Amino acid sequence: MQTEEQQLQFTDIHNDVVRSLVVTGRGYYITLGCAIFVLLTCFFFPWFYQLYYGIGAAGMNSPTVWGTYLASFIFWIGLSHSGTLLSCVLHITNSQWRKAMYRSAEAMTLFSLMVAAMMVMVHLGRPWFIHWSVPYPNQMELWPNFRSPLLFDVMAITTYLTGSSIFIYMGSIPDFAAVRDRTTGWRHHLYTLLSLGWRGTDTEWHRLGWAYTFLAVLIIPLAVSVHSIVSWDFAMSIVPGLHQTIFAPYFVVGAIYSGTAGIVTVMFVLRKYMNFEQYITKLHFDNLGKLLLVLSLLWSYINILELFTGWYSGTSTEYEQLKYKLFGYYAPLYWEMILFCGVAPLLLISNKFRTSFVPMLVLSIAINIGMYTERFLIIATTLSRQYLPESWRVYVPSLVELSIIVGSVAMFVTLFLLFVKIFPSVSIYEVKETMKIPKKKGMPEWQATH
Amino acid sequence: MASNALGLFLDPDSALEAARRLKGAGFARPELISPIPIHGVEDVLGPKKSVIRRFTFFGGIFGALSGFTLAAGTAVLYLHPTGGRPIITIPPFLIITYEMTILFGILATVLGFLISARFPAIRERVYVPEAGVDRFAVTVDCDGEERFRRAEAILREAGAETVRSISEGES
Repeated sequence: MQTEEQQLQFTDIHNDVVRSLVVTGRGYYITLGCAIFVLLTCFFFPWFYQLYYGIGAAGMNSPTVWGTYLASFIFWIGLSHSGTLLSCVLHITNSQWRKAMYRSAEAMTLFSLMVAAMMVMVHLGRPWFIHWSVPYPNQMELWPNFRSPLLFDVMAITTYLTGSSIFIYMGSIPDFAAVRDRTTGWRHHLYTLLSLGWRGTDTEWHRLGWAYTFLAVLIIPLAVSVHSIVSWDFAMSIVPGLHQTIFAPYFVVGAIYSGTAGIVTVMFVLRKYMNFEQYITKLHFDNLGKLLLVLSLLWSYINILELFTGWYSGTSTEYEQLKYKLFGYYAPLYWEMILFCGVAPLLLISNKFRTSFVPMLVLSIAINIGMYTERFLIIATTLSRQYLPESWRVYVPSLVELSIIVGSVAMFVTLFLLFVKIFPSVSIYEVKETMKIPKKKGMPEWQATH
Repeated sequence: MASNALGLFLDPDSALEAARRLKGAGFARPELISPIPIHGVEDVLGPKKSVIRRFTFFGGIFGALSGFTLAAGTAVLYLHPTGGRPIITIPPFLIITYEMTILFGILATVLGFLISARFPAIRERVYVPEAGVDRFAVTVDCDGEERFRRAEAILREAGAETVRSISEGES
């Protein structure tokens, strides 16, 4: 009977998600323990070392005054771009396949943003003065300079962090209510508080639907603006290789590209280790693969365009910069980036490749390594070769910097591991919507609103 | 104390049908409680209007004004002339305005949602745990035994799996 089938399916997703929250194996604790250990030893220890001995512990020096910390900052901001943005676009276009994966994708956004904010703190020589970038009345009667792209950054990232947190929370309210009834102890109290007293009445669904759609509409242009603004941190300087109008779309495409690859990695892990095989399927990998293919072509196009404009400009500094990038000290990294982000993703043309889980995982990690390299090269190849040849100096990251890169990954993993045990990592009510709903004989086919 | 008749259904169509019949029989505001949003509620219970859009709109306008005022105001408070450029420079300040428009738009949308959906719930309300999992519930206010029996009959006729009486605050 259809109704029995529905009951089974609805309770299935319910049980699976509650199980993912409350049943925790030894593997989880070992992974969490390792992640926290790496976080402490590779992130916080070198950071405190740098704070104690001074910013000289990092390899940054004139002329390369920005180094891997800011490359990591752009990387993490970029990685944050697919989650909420993709989720919003797919929500507005009413894509059904979004529903099983969007919660984790949004969490990815949130945690990447947090790690990105930490990278800025690490980059600052005196992070205890971070509040100086916030406009507040003070004794010195000083105000931040709102004409600076760095201040645009502060405003954009604050807004994005606020917006993404609210978006993931709003979408989770019905799920907090759903798991509230199935949990005990501190979890029960926490979910009672977070669910705000959600009951699932028609009025509540109606209001949630409207508010959620409005938020999605507001967040899409916001996300595009965030990475455009990050690109202006560079493009508004007059450094050859950075002073380009293509930078904003270049950064936005790169961000969505690395973010989508990040989603593939996260989906693989969730599917495999949280036992969500029934909900995260080949369909999701297939669709994400197609998206990655389009983004990789777009990314390649912009890269070719960047080379072309540099060459066509005819100015000696731009030309010199270009030559340095393609054949200079950092050239192996450049060609590695082209291989990982421009050539390897062409494999996605194959249907079989897109629907194979392990190759997709390998490719998604390769893309993100390539994208990290891209961000590193943006800083390293340009700042080390500016106008005056006597001030040219190669930049190589110090051990402290390299360690902090590893530590930042551990920070992301730690936050994500905590998330999967507190938030329902697959949206219960939206997966229920995609399930077959029974209908009474003689009634029109029933469809979900969202 | 007001009591409610509650009918539990296995599918959303029957629940909607029950709500339609209850409304037709003169019961005020039948309410549907479901694990997923139900399509077609407005056809049965009448169109719903929400004030959220106004909140978003005015929040955005407030954000735009405050964003520009913040950037321009602080520039005037602390004069920092650079290269003969104007103190109040439009293009960069528009970016601050843009970000603040979205920030306040988002915050106002949340406020609108909380107010219009009456969250957070301070007083206890009619709550059906089954309707959070896989059942579709219809509740309706009914004072007196006779009204309850009538509601029960309608609910059963529409195919309710179980019908029970429930009072505010009880779950």
